[in-house]
Amino acid sequence: MDFIVFGQQIINGLVNGMGYVLIATGLTLVFGVLRIVNFAHGEFYMLGAFLTYYALTLFGVDYLVSALLATVAVAALGIGANKFFFRPLRREHEFTILLSSLGLSLLIANGAEEIFGADPKYVMSPYADEAMELGPFVVTEQRIIVFVAAAVVMAGVYWFIRYTRMGKMMQATAQNPEGAALTGINTDFVHGYTFALACGLAALAGALVGPTAMLFPTVGAWAVLKGFIVVVMGGLGSVTGALLGGLLLGVVESLGGGYISLGFKDAIGYAIIIAVLLWRPQGLFSVSRSSR
Amino acid sequence: MLNRRLTLALLGATAAIGVAISPASAQQKPPVKIAAIAPLSGAGAFDGQLAVEGMKAMAEVINQRGGVLGGRKIELVTYDDKGTPEEGVSAAKRAMEQDGVDMIVGGWFSAVALAQKEVTRDRIINVMTSSQHPNVTEQGHKYLFRLNATSTMMSDTYSKFICDKMKVKSVAFITINDDYGRLEVENYKKLLAGCNIEVKGNEFYNRDDTDFTTALTKLKALNADAIYVSAINTSQGATIYRQIRQTAYKGTIIASAGNMNPKLIELSGPALEGVYSVSLFAPDSQNSSLKQWMTQYKKDFKNEPSFIGSLGAQAVQVLAEAMDKAGSSKDYDKIAETLKARKWDTLLGQISFTDKGQAVQNIYLVQVKNKQIVSVASGS
Repeated sequence: MDFIVFGQQIINGLVNGMGYVLIATGLTLVFGVLRIVNFAHGEFYMLGAFLTYYALTLFGVDYLVSALLATVAVAALGIGANKFFFRPLRREHEFTILLSSLGLSLLIANGAEEIFGADPKYVMSPYADEAMELGPFVVTEQRIIVFVAAAVVMAGVYWFIRYTRMGKMMQATAQNPEGAALTGINTDFVHGYTFALACGLAALAGALVGPTAMLFPTVGAWAVLKGFIVVVMGGLGSVTGALLGGLLLGVVESLGGGYISLGFKDAIGYAIIIAVLLWRPQGLFSVSRSSR
Repeated sequence: MLNRRLTLALLGATAAIGVAISPASAQQKPPVKIAAIAPLSGAGAFDGQLAVEGMKAMAEVINQRGGVLGGRKIELVTYDDKGTPEEGVSAAKRAMEQDGVDMIVGGWFSAVALAQKEVTRDRIINVMTSSQHPNVTEQGHKYLFRLNATSTMMSDTYSKFICDKMKVKSVAFITINDDYGRLEVENYKKLLAGCNIEVKGNEFYNRDDTDFTTALTKLKALNADAIYVSAINTSQGATIYRQIRQTAYKGTIIASAGNMNPKLIELSGPALEGVYSVSLFAPDSQNSSLKQWMTQYKKDFKNEPSFIGSLGAQAVQVLAEAMDKAGSSKDYDKIAETLKARKWDTLLGQISFTDKGQAVQNIYLVQVKNKQIVSVASGS
């Protein structure tokens, strides 16, 4: 009996964690390659969820297709955000860029409240309410989709960074921007598609996780917070760190909420941040600074 | 050249219109300003929007009839309290000190109301609306009024119904982690023990949680006959009802008092069918001022009239009538005295106020049937 609850909590945690992984990966990529701490990252999560909602309800597009469309659209917005908000400030102090991202975040969130309205929305995914009973455990199809899709996408991102030419250009830019530029890499271009990838991942997270809860325009604040906790846990700039960190945070929250106290669930994340910063500021999973 | 002539002509015309209008507007009496402090952003934003819409529709109804105090229009000034006590306090300060409003309507959430009443204490008429914590009026002040029934009043009525009509032997709770939620659980533990219903457990969630699977997994494992959901905002409520269904829980679902609205039904889908709640607002009631307000509301806004909106409307309606009877918008002693002295016919039926400013209202039992909120025979 207790074993069933324990197993169910682990499953809940892994699914939530996979959502965190998608959010955090974009955040960590933007930090690694552009050295930008992007506070507006959560807003792209929110936009992903809302665009999925609108594609679904206004145009009657199939849910999975809507999710894909939203991802692509937000990735394109990411290129724009980089071009208009971050690129012009590239030579400025890091703090200026930080403030710019905070401004962008407020702009998008409040703009969304104005345009989308304050009433909560629900992404009517056909898979959301279908509970599947796997022996004693219950999982909805939607949550299985979150996990599987995220796992596939993460494998894709890993492969992209590791083996493709564009991925290697990202690595080079992350390690030494000036050196990369000297070898003929167009770093502006690299920055552009890194942003597109990051925002696309956030939007995908929104599109997939969206149907598990109600949507409202300020949901991005939640997303970026979870993202930051994971990024700090996994080590800034590390994709594998984001993967392991995200899953770990999901499970720890779920077990902490389940066995200690649910009111304490959010505090666990903050406690982890403090502990990591004190004892392993390079992140729980990073081996050395230069590897990614 | 032509451009300049045109500009001059336009300027002349504008000046002429200005001259024509100004004597008239000088004669017009200043409006009565009522501050509407509500959560307009964050997870409670939608409820705040419904509340303000309800107030606006009622103000419109009154203004069309010629306003109050012999022709003064009601002007609503809205403030965002973000559903947090700090912002609620600063909004009330701004309303009083910067904007010089005549009275304040706010306190949609208990945590906000409890903090806000301290800055308005004995300074301005402050009507609290949907907050249910008893201390809002128990520790209120001489100008404070609260419309909603307290959670104690609600749970007294509701628990009788749960005991008598629902065939459940045990209940598990999921409640919000604040003053209101903690009090609810305490109340029901006592009341339900009275009729031998066992309270098997309780899980608190936080105001900005979006995932409740951890809590619901625990609650489901308790195998209670019913789950009581105390959700004070629509967005979280709908998520909880849906996620209960997603855990494949098969028992009865009981919705907390006063938190049933059309949007919740729309968002929760099949998860809310057959669920009971208690409310001061029965949309199928035959009250004529309710009908008038609903017509105006549907004309001005695209949302369905809701309980929370009707409370906002009631606040405006009662204040308007009390001002007329007291003959002033600023003589707070007189207005407060007037409010407590008599019964008021409002869109939610007849109400009166106790010495502490607590409204005594009808409580209806409602149920979701075919996606509509319908009233069930009264249980009190």
